[in-house]
Formats: sequence, C-alpha cells, structure tokens
Amino acid sequence: MNLSVRLLAENLKAGYSGGDIVKNASCSFTAGTFTGIIGPNGSGKTTLLKAFSRVIPSSGILELDNKAVSAYSPAELSAALGFVPQDEGCAFPYSVIQVVLMARYARTRRFASIGSDDYARCHRALAETGIARLANRSILTLSGGEWQRVLIARAVAQDTGVILLDEPTSHLDLSHQAEIFSLMRNLAAAGSTIIGVFHDLNMAALYCDRLVMIRDGKIVADGRPEDVMTPEKIRDVYGIEVVSSFHPVTGRTFLLPLDSGTPPIISGEMQNVLVISGGGSGGELLHFLSRKGYCLSAGILATTDSDYLATTTLGIPCIAIPPFSKIPAPAQEKFRNSLARADRIVLSVHPVGCGNLPVLLALREVDPARIILHLPEGRDFASFDFARGSAVPVLSGLCAAGARCSSGFGEILEFLETNPGKTGIIRNEP
Amino acid sequence: MTLLIRPIPLIITLIIAAVVTIIICTFTGPAGFGVVATGPGSTDIIGSIRLPRVLAAFFVGAGLAVAGAAMQSLFRNPMADPYILGTSSGGALGASIALVFLGGFFVPLFAWTGAVTAILVVWLVAGRRGVVPVETLLLTGIAVSFFCSALVSFLISGAGRNVHQILFWLMGGFWNTSPFDALLAFGLLVPAGLLLVFMSRDLNALSLGEETAFHLGIDAARVRRLVLGGSTLLVAGAVSIAGSIGFVGLVTPHVIRTVAGPDNCIVIPASIFAGGILLVIADTLARTFFSDLPVGIITAFIGAPFFVWQIYRRESTA
Repeated sequence: MNLSVRLLAENLKAGYSGGDIVKNASCSFTAGTFTGIIGPNGSGKTTLLKAFSRVIPSSGILELDNKAVSAYSPAELSAALGFVPQDEGCAFPYSVIQVVLMARYARTRRFASIGSDDYARCHRALAETGIARLANRSILTLSGGEWQRVLIARAVAQDTGVILLDEPTSHLDLSHQAEIFSLMRNLAAAGSTIIGVFHDLNMAALYCDRLVMIRDGKIVADGRPEDVMTPEKIRDVYGIEVVSSFHPVTGRTFLLPLDSGTPPIISGEMQNVLVISGGGSGGELLHFLSRKGYCLSAGILATTDSDYLATTTLGIPCIAIPPFSKIPAPAQEKFRNSLARADRIVLSVHPVGCGNLPVLLALREVDPARIILHLPEGRDFASFDFARGSAVPVLSGLCAAGARCSSGFGEILEFLETNPGKTGIIRNEP
Repeated sequence: MTLLIRPIPLIITLIIAAVVTIIICTFTGPAGFGVVATGPGSTDIIGSIRLPRVLAAFFVGAGLAVAGAAMQSLFRNPMADPYILGTSSGGALGASIALVFLGGFFVPLFAWTGAVTAILVVWLVAGRRGVVPVETLLLTGIAVSFFCSALVSFLISGAGRNVHQILFWLMGGFWNTSPFDALLAFGLLVPAGLLLVFMSRDLNALSLGEETAFHLGIDAARVRRLVLGGSTLLVAGAVSIAGSIGFVGLVTPHVIRTVAGPDNCIVIPASIFAGGILLVIADTLARTFFSDLPVGIITAFIGAPFFVWQIYRRESTA
C-alpha cells in the first residue's frame, strides 16, 4: 500500500461572506485510507469538504498530490478529485446513464463521441452502487436513495485518486448504507483516498480507518475510531451522554445515546435503595430508578454482566466480582453491609445458579418488609432456578415472610415512596 | 422510457425540413403567387421581399430557440426563455425611445443597444463578483425587466400618435425586413450558434448545478459568461430585427426534448433548425391568412395551447 500523502491542509481557513467557518484546520490524508469526518450540525464539516474541493475559497496551505489545489485547472482537478454532493437538483429528465457519463467529460475530447471504454466504466460504477437496473430510467422518477447512489456512481466513474462525500448515505436504508460503506472501503483498499462526512457515528466507526471530529470549525480529535469515539469526547462535542460498547464480530466501537432525559433535581436526603440483579435483568430498572433520583447501589455483579456495564455507565456504586468465580468472602461481607444499610431492597428476579445462590440466601437475614421482588410478567420463580431447585424455596419463602412481589416498575415506585423514614423531594422539572 | 429519436437522423430530418419549409414559404403568400407562379413581377416580390423575410424569420427563430435552450440549462429551469434577463424589455425601451423621440429612425439600432444594455446592467449588478448563484442573476434580470417595462409604459402613456407603432413593435413582426436584416441575423447566428453548440456538453453539466459542473471539470464561471454573451448577441439581434417575438424560444427546446431527450448535444443543434422552421411557418401564416398580423400573436396563440398540451402529456406519461 502506498502511504504517501494525497491531500494536505495546513492552517486552512474557509467560509462564506459572514466569516470563517473552518478555522485553522490542519490535517493530511494518505492514499489507501477511508476517513470519516464527524461533528454536530453546523460544525463546518461540509464547509471543510467544499474547501478541499475548491468550491469555496480558502486560505492557508491546501495541496493535492503535492501541488497546490489552486494551481489545478478545473479539468485537471476533476481528474484527481471526485465529489458526491449532499443533494443536487435537476429539472430535466436525463437518464441515469447520461448523468453518470458526465463523469467522463473531462477525460474525453469535446466532440469525440463517448467511447465504449467510458460506457463500460460507467456501467461498472452503476453495478458497484447497486443500480445497474436503473441505467435507462429518467432521473426525475428516482427515489431519494436511488438518486444518491447515482451521484455516488458518477463520482466513482470519475476514476479519481481522491473522493469526497458529503453525507452520501443520508437517504439510504441500512443494507444500502452497508453496501456504499463497503464500496468506499474497497476503493480505499485499492489505493484511493476516501473522505466522507457522516452523521451515523456507528457506521463511520465500523468502516472508516480514521475519524476526524470537528467542532466549531476546529479539529478536536483525529485518529482511530475507538480513540475518537469515546463517551467523554462525544459528551464534549455533541453534548449527549452515550453508552459505548463493541461490535460483537468486528470489535469496532459503537455508541448509543443513554436516553437519559432531564436529570432530576433533588433536595433533601433520598432513600438508599439496593438493587440486586444479574444476567441483564436489572439494566432498565437501574436506569429507571436512577432517573427518579434514588440513591442507588447494586450487587453482586460479575464484571462481564451487562448489568455491571449499566451501573458503571450510570455511575452507580456496585459490588463487583470477577466472572465465573465463587463469590469471595470480602465481597460477601460488603454485600451484607449494603443489605444492612439499605432502606429498601429491590430484587430483580434473575437466573440463579449455584454460583450466585449465596446472594439470595443472604436476603433471608433481612427484614422482609424492606424487600420488593420484581418478577417479569408471565414468568414464575422456577423458570429462573438453575440451582437444582434451591432458589425457588428461598424466593417463595421471602414472599411468604412478607416481602412484596411486583411485576411492574410502577408498583416498585409506590413501594419505595411509602417509606416514611426519608423526606427527599424529587422535581423532574428544572 | 419512451423510445427516442436518434440524434443524427433527427438533425438530418430537421435540415431537410428547414430547406423544404424555406422553399415552400417563399412561394406562398397573399399576393397570389403559388408554388408554380410565374410572370412579370413575381421574381421581384419573391427575390427582394419574400426571400429576405423568410430567411430573416428563419435565422431569428433559430437564434431565439437556441438561446432559449441554453438559458433553460444555464438557469436549470425549463420555464426560462431567451428574454429572461431583460433583453426584450431593454430592447422595447430602446425601440420606444427611437419611435417617440426620433420619429421612428434608428429603431433597430436603439432596440439592439437597449437589449445589450439591459444585460450589461444585470451582469454588472449581479455577476460582477465571481460566481454568484444563478438565482441572484435571475432575480436581478426580473428587476431590470420590470424597470424597463415601467419606462416603456411611461413612454406609451405620453406617446400620442406613436402608441400604435410601439404596440406593434412590442408584439413583434417582419414587416420591413430587408436583405440586410437577413444577412445580419445570419451573421450573428453562425458564430453565436456555433459557440452554443460548442458548449452543449458544458450546459449538460451546468443543468445539474454550478458546483456539480465544477466537480466534473467545467469552468462554470467561464461557460456562463460565454453562454450569456452568445445568447445576448443572438437575442439582441433578433429583437432589433423583429421586436420581441414570444414563445419560440420557450417552446422549441421542449419540443426537441420530448422527441430526443434532454441531452444538450442534441437539443442545442436541433433547436436551431426547429426554431427557424417554426418561426418561418408562423410568419407565413401571419402574412398569408391574417393580413400581416404581428407574428408574435401567432406564436403565442399557437404556442401557449401547444405548451400546455405538452406539459400534460408529459405528466401523464411520466
């Protein structure tokens, strides 16, 4: 692979008459890489791309293949750099192939008829973007996604070393997005420099070799997707809390919004609530209760449990143990202390095996009036018992001794609010 | 997709049709000279009056149609016509000035100057600073048009006995066409028409937007200057010879697109011949059957319903 620098920008400034939108951007793009430019709306991603392609004037250093971009003639530039615009309108009923053939204008003489090589190249580009069957359709009859793929096919047929794409997948469904992203990755693997502006961070992280994050016209992060797409940077730049995880097959980072809503405003002392869960049974409950403002703790969870991930994401203290091990004595001790401290205990009924049976057994030492069991609707205790029948008697014993049993979050909330001991007030309106 | 006529057969057909139309129309008229007319006086009328008139109509129609096709692509708007930037109202202002203040002398010269001045004003106001959006150019053109029209209305309101002349000029016609007019129209059509044919491919790209054209390797600003310059020469020439004849420049490119598709490599050259044929036929109808009515009335009278029919037909097949 050729690692030479194709596109180089140093202290690039660009914008419209109102002032610079891109401020002092410095970055370089090597051959054979697929880079995603990400950032919130209005951060200057499109402006940066248009400055690269010379559609809007810029100051600073901008070089394409070691030659100043300003020194290229339009025809030379179009042979070296292709551009997929965000949107493009046309009032005339050109056929799809006619539009794609325009990619070859700069390569053929003015009155020379377009050759069979050019036709072949354009038909190949249509096939690569999955729209070969549309070749003779009028562009006025295309859907938004089909038209977007025509524009991509045209840039591909331009056979340039650099392709810039401005949100090329915004109108595409998931399978066509994947098709376009992998086409771009393949073009990069074949030596092209692909630079795209993307809004879908997860698709960008999945396919791009590198991400450049922009805020207010400045590059704030630049590197491998896993280094750029951290929850901290996303919070800084996009102002949203996210959960970060990994693609189960490729191991690439992906992010999802935490869906946190407005954080509650709390005055006074809130109740201590201990949530006991496992096997992913407690994530939603933990989130629900944390948004209600309760002072939560959790345990005992294995560090591989998704409930554990939920506690770390939500910042809830948790007694954690290594996976696939017996519960060590110190953890059991800490758990007993938590049980004693908690005003209320919520047991989200979860699969119980020999390993986590001690957690359940410890509950028998607690006043059952402080306990509420959360059993999902339509399930019984037996379906969670993987401890050869040892769990069911414990659970039914708790109920018999006076512990409440609920199937909905509403009941849990009701139970928690009836505690006269604490006087915390929650207001969800700021 | 409907089966389109191939470009080469279409152009050949149009050339043959143009020649046939010119011959037939030259031998047709109210004076009773049929195709087989002979006798004293007939050659004079045919050679010195009708032939120049038919040829002038052909070249004027050709110029308007090709300029219309170019303007529609340049402005990315199928509703654009060759007068869109104010050529006709500028020309009308010039002609009105000559009719009111100079007793009708130098009308063509003043019309030409008015038309070119209108475009220059639009260009200086809107197009001066590098690449301006076509919308800005279009809106400035509309403003200049209205301004000139206001001045023309003002002149008409005080024109007294010249009102009739101004109104007839505004509707357009070929009453006093001289061989010189035919020659002038031809002299403008050859270079400017060739320039537009030369720009066909660039116009295709420009009809997808100036940024797109630039990304496809076309110097959009330069092409726009050349196309506007060439079109202005053609349209100002047409206006000075025959006043502002409507609809030929708007409708002809649409007719060609319906039969041959939107590729300007076909639309531009085909519009030249088709526009010429249409205006020659319209002018022959005007002078043969309507006692030399302004031909602009005929083109609008036939052109408008035809245009509507075209639009509805396209909608029903799309």
